[in-house]
Amino acid sequence: MAARGRVRHFGCDAVRGGKRSAIQRWSGLLGTHGDAIWHYRRSRLGMVTAAVALTFVVGAVFAPWLTPFAAAGRGVPDLSNRLRPPGAIHWLGTDELGRDVLARLLFGARASLVVAVGVVALSVLVGVVVGALSGYFGRWIDEVLMRITDAFLAFPPLLLAVLVAASLGASLRNTVIAISVSWWPWYARQVRAQVLSLRTRPFIQAAQAIGAPSRRTIAVHIVPNVMAPVWVQATADIGAVVLTAAGLSFVGLGPRPPTADWGVMIADGRHYVLSGQWWIAGFAGLAVVVVAMAFNLIGDVMRDVADPRTRGQLR
Amino acid sequence: MVPGARTRIERGGRGGASLRRLAMSSLVILGVVTITFAVSRLVPSDPASLYAGARARPEQVERVREDLNLGAPVMSQYVSYLGELARGDLGVSFATKRPIAEDLRRFLPATLELALSATALAVLIGIPAGVMAADRAHRLRAVGIRLLAVTSVSMPVFWSALFLQLFVASKLEWLPLAGRIDPGTHFATPTGFFLIDSVLSGSPSNFLDVVSHLILPVLVMAAYPLGLTIRLVRSAMLEVLASDHIEAARVAQVPWRTVLWRLALKNALLPALTVLGLTFAYSVSSAFLVEALFAWPGLGKYFADAILRVDLPVISAAVLTVTVVYVSVNLVLDLLQIRLDPRVVLS
Amino acid sequence: MSEIKRLVFGGLLCVATVAVPPLTACSRDADGSGAANAAVEPGAAGQETAAEFAPEPGGEFEEPADSGSAQEDQPGEPPAAEPAVAPTTAVASEGSRENPRDGPGEHFVYANPHVIGDLDPSSAFSSEHIVLQNVYETLTRLTDHDGTTTEQLSGVLAESWTANDDATVWTFTLREGVTFHDGTALTPQAVRDSLHRTIDLGLGAAFILAPIEFMEAVDDRTIRFDLSYPAPLDLIMSANFGVYVISPNAVTQDNAWFNAGNAAGTGPYMLESHDPAVSTRLVRYDDYWGGWSEGQVATVDIRLTEDPVLAQQLIRNSDAHYTFNLPFDVYDSLADRSGVDVVIGPSMISLFGLLNTRRLSPEVREALVLSFPYDEITASLYGGRAVRSRGIVPQAMWGSHPELEIPRTDLEAASRLLDDAGMTDISIIYSYDAGTIEQQQIGEVWKAGLATIGVDLVLEPLTFDARWAKAKADPDGAQDVFVMFWFPTFVSPYDFLYSVFHTEEEPFFNLGYFSNGEFDTLIDEADTLSGTDRYGAIELFRRAQEILVDEHAGVFMLDVPQAQAIRSEFRGFVSNPAYSQVVRFYELHRR
Repeated sequence: MAARGRVRHFGCDAVRGGKRSAIQRWSGLLGTHGDAIWHYRRSRLGMVTAAVALTFVVGAVFAPWLTPFAAAGRGVPDLSNRLRPPGAIHWLGTDELGRDVLARLLFGARASLVVAVGVVALSVLVGVVVGALSGYFGRWIDEVLMRITDAFLAFPPLLLAVLVAASLGASLRNTVIAISVSWWPWYARQVRAQVLSLRTRPFIQAAQAIGAPSRRTIAVHIVPNVMAPVWVQATADIGAVVLTAAGLSFVGLGPRPPTADWGVMIADGRHYVLSGQWWIAGFAGLAVVVVAMAFNLIGDVMRDVADPRTRGQLR
Repeated sequence: MVPGARTRIERGGRGGASLRRLAMSSLVILGVVTITFAVSRLVPSDPASLYAGARARPEQVERVREDLNLGAPVMSQYVSYLGELARGDLGVSFATKRPIAEDLRRFLPATLELALSATALAVLIGIPAGVMAADRAHRLRAVGIRLLAVTSVSMPVFWSALFLQLFVASKLEWLPLAGRIDPGTHFATPTGFFLIDSVLSGSPSNFLDVVSHLILPVLVMAAYPLGLTIRLVRSAMLEVLASDHIEAARVAQVPWRTVLWRLALKNALLPALTVLGLTFAYSVSSAFLVEALFAWPGLGKYFADAILRVDLPVISAAVLTVTVVYVSVNLVLDLLQIRLDPRVVLS
Repeated sequence: MSEIKRLVFGGLLCVATVAVPPLTACSRDADGSGAANAAVEPGAAGQETAAEFAPEPGGEFEEPADSGSAQEDQPGEPPAAEPAVAPTTAVASEGSRENPRDGPGEHFVYANPHVIGDLDPSSAFSSEHIVLQNVYETLTRLTDHDGTTTEQLSGVLAESWTANDDATVWTFTLREGVTFHDGTALTPQAVRDSLHRTIDLGLGAAFILAPIEFMEAVDDRTIRFDLSYPAPLDLIMSANFGVYVISPNAVTQDNAWFNAGNAAGTGPYMLESHDPAVSTRLVRYDDYWGGWSEGQVATVDIRLTEDPVLAQQLIRNSDAHYTFNLPFDVYDSLADRSGVDVVIGPSMISLFGLLNTRRLSPEVREALVLSFPYDEITASLYGGRAVRSRGIVPQAMWGSHPELEIPRTDLEAASRLLDDAGMTDISIIYSYDAGTIEQQQIGEVWKAGLATIGVDLVLEPLTFDARWAKAKADPDGAQDVFVMFWFPTFVSPYDFLYSVFHTEEEPFFNLGYFSNGEFDTLIDEADTLSGTDRYGAIELFRRAQEILVDEHAGVFMLDVPQAQAIRSEFRGFVSNPAYSQVVRFYELHRR
């Protein structure tokens, strides 16, 4: 668990952004290389996984309108209907408190989405700032920032999350904080490495030579040029965060009950698997696997289409 | 943990930079220790009650509080805590009152055995699989392997463990459910690595027992590094395969198999292996779920239990241990990187 | 008489769901039939039972002269029915049984969800009693109780005992022929030194020995206790903690010695090895005073199995023979499966929510008490096998209050109360143990009910240590409802009432911060009375419990049913609520 799709981005052409126009660089910030979307859409795998991801997002956002058991999704028990197998009324069965499993999954998608987006956004924000400052200024700023980053990286990641979640108490917000604490250093390192390469490029040195203020250089020339691989990584990481969050919930440090959560559903549901009531843990686990896979694959496809050499690998 | 680390670094050529890195690494460790101390102070807890026991009377708790100097101001506690660590005194667990050093000596090998086996499995299967996944000549196979890789990095261990235990251990009864050895098996454990100890015991049945207990947890634990290795090797391979010298070899009509398995793999291996070191360090710390599910007495579970109980001395000691493993691995990787990429200049 | 009573009691426990003639249910029939079969063949099984359990006519035992809780018969273990004192008996028993030393004996695996943390018999105060109760012995043991008046005590190391009229001087006569695992003989001095060790350490359950002022060996079989105030010492000596008798050679050792896996008690099993992270192993003590017979358990593996799903798999696969702590629903499916008996024993564990008296007005507290879905939870979550609490003292314990007026769930009344008090749209913090599935489910069900009357129950899961620390530190800012269990240190209502509700200047376990002078006086008085006038004490304890209900000091949810699973190849298991989770391996027989 807690797997993170930390595939280093070898040979990404985004760092060569200096050759491109400002518009292209800004579109790089949005994660789209001019023609990347076109290539992405040509990938069948890309479209399938995008559809899965979209289903996840739509399911999460519109959960209350997608199920007749919205109350159950919010956590209202129905003790007369406990542990019903999948059937015509409850398509995926009911859980140990008689709640519709499908409704719980849909509402659980909300928790997963909030955590995933929250963690990625927070981590990207901190990571990019730290990485850019560190890489651009170098010297003692780099030393200090990187040692701090290293300390956070060196701290056993999932256990750091457990420690933070245990200290702050279980809640959705604290889950986001707990995971972000061990997540941002990866972005910081990624960004710093790219800034280091970028710094030696002529257009940056030119900007420095004409005396452009550092803040402007970083904001206009550096950050946009490093964002593309960051967004690729961030997309792939959504799946990994979902997985990590499930792990945290599994040890009882997820969102507070009765908030629906996939990790909690697996943790509670696995007690019943041996006695034949497999559907709670079974479907919740499947949801985690499918969503994590979808985002991992989207990340892969994005990386592939970003790199002309690998284009056409995944059709 | 990595005894070779220091010597390798110093032979690394750029001696000054290496020493600097080493010094910096100790700073990192100090940082980690400080983070640990700070975060554990945030936890609402009463170490004195923990030490005194679950249903101790108030007066017993007060006595412990005085004995352990827990009423002192936070800063002075921090200083004395650092002092004890510096003296190499890991102290005694608040919850179990057992000496922590002794516990670590037992639990670390158990976890390393698991993590090393899992990493080894990941590398042995992952590298060839990664090469195949980069092989355009067999597209179907490549896609199949990539799907396997993605599945294995997307599977929660507590989910895969449950189903493996259910089918392989409970239903088919091919392998034991949990534990490191059969309760009936006894042999001396001088190293703490049961694979080695069972060989030393000279009895093949002991060794088989150990291996049969290892398989399921290692499979569960290896899933993530395996998927990662496949993906890393594949993307490194693709990069190498696109390079000029491979192009040259192809023009020179070198057989494709040789290009793929000799020329390209040789060049792709190093970048892939650098990240694998991190994976190993990572699995050491994320082992706790696997350990809990397989009743495996290891460091991860020891650590997680301590966190949940706010057993501060144990948390610190375990953090320190994992950090040292991590920092050592990281150090080696950094230095490798310095040698490999001339563009990365140490400031 | 008490022997039969014990069996009836045990029999009912053994086969919880099948109606069975009581005598046979728990018998150690060797005919290979299951629990149900045993019921069909009362004759055969009954005979064997009679043969094995009949006291030897020549056996020596004395009736205690004037002890309120008379030891009418022999101690708990059936084989003990033959006093080990008489050498002739021992010979006779060898004639009818095989010498146990010949065979390897049975192996029993106990899948234990809790870490065995401290094996020091003087300071251990947690789940270690599952080991200690088999390795060490105490002077007395609680073997039966009807939950209302008196409990039934049997002598273990004590053969008989007497007290003076005001229960301040107690004399215990020790069993003869008892030896420690290291070969030393049991003496009154050993008993004295063992208890002294607990008192001197002052840890764990030491406080239950507080009444003891002076101990003296009267002769080589008798020990006298002078108490500084009246107390039921015979009952105290049956406690789970702090009263184990240790060999003179071991009593001088320190905590580390015991935790290194050393032990020297008089119990039927010796500690073979101890590894808190893996397992604790016991092996039969051949010279146990009770003797041995074929089919008894010779080696025990108390294996740490923290994951309940793993424990479930182990017992299903017959890799473990006993476990507990599974989610309640799971027992049904285990019971359906041949090969596993599910035993639902009576409970001395009370589950309740303490209402924060500093934050919640009496009206709000009453509304909360009225809103709790008592019947829904006992009927549904516990499959109808849990008993709703009547006050904090479990109904299986003496001093409980079976006639206590308890409210029915009435959301409308609760709503009206809140409206009258002008307390609508409030939110209530429900603090419970993270990862404890029952407490979580109870919270979720309660929350749904409260939501219908405009109260938001906020479920706050934390580890016990964390929420306890929080609750102690800041009563005014802490939780509104503190959910917790209480189980007896020794079997007295005072333990519950004092620990959880007696006025405390600094909050400790009184986490509803309840304070009521009349209540305090009542229970203190009752405690003093309980050594001499049990009925008088009960009267006072009951009045005290009425105050708790009148003041809405807590939501008394249920007496937690003690559900356990044991492989049916082993017979003779008795679920004794005074020693929850203890399996007396000595009493088991393989069929």
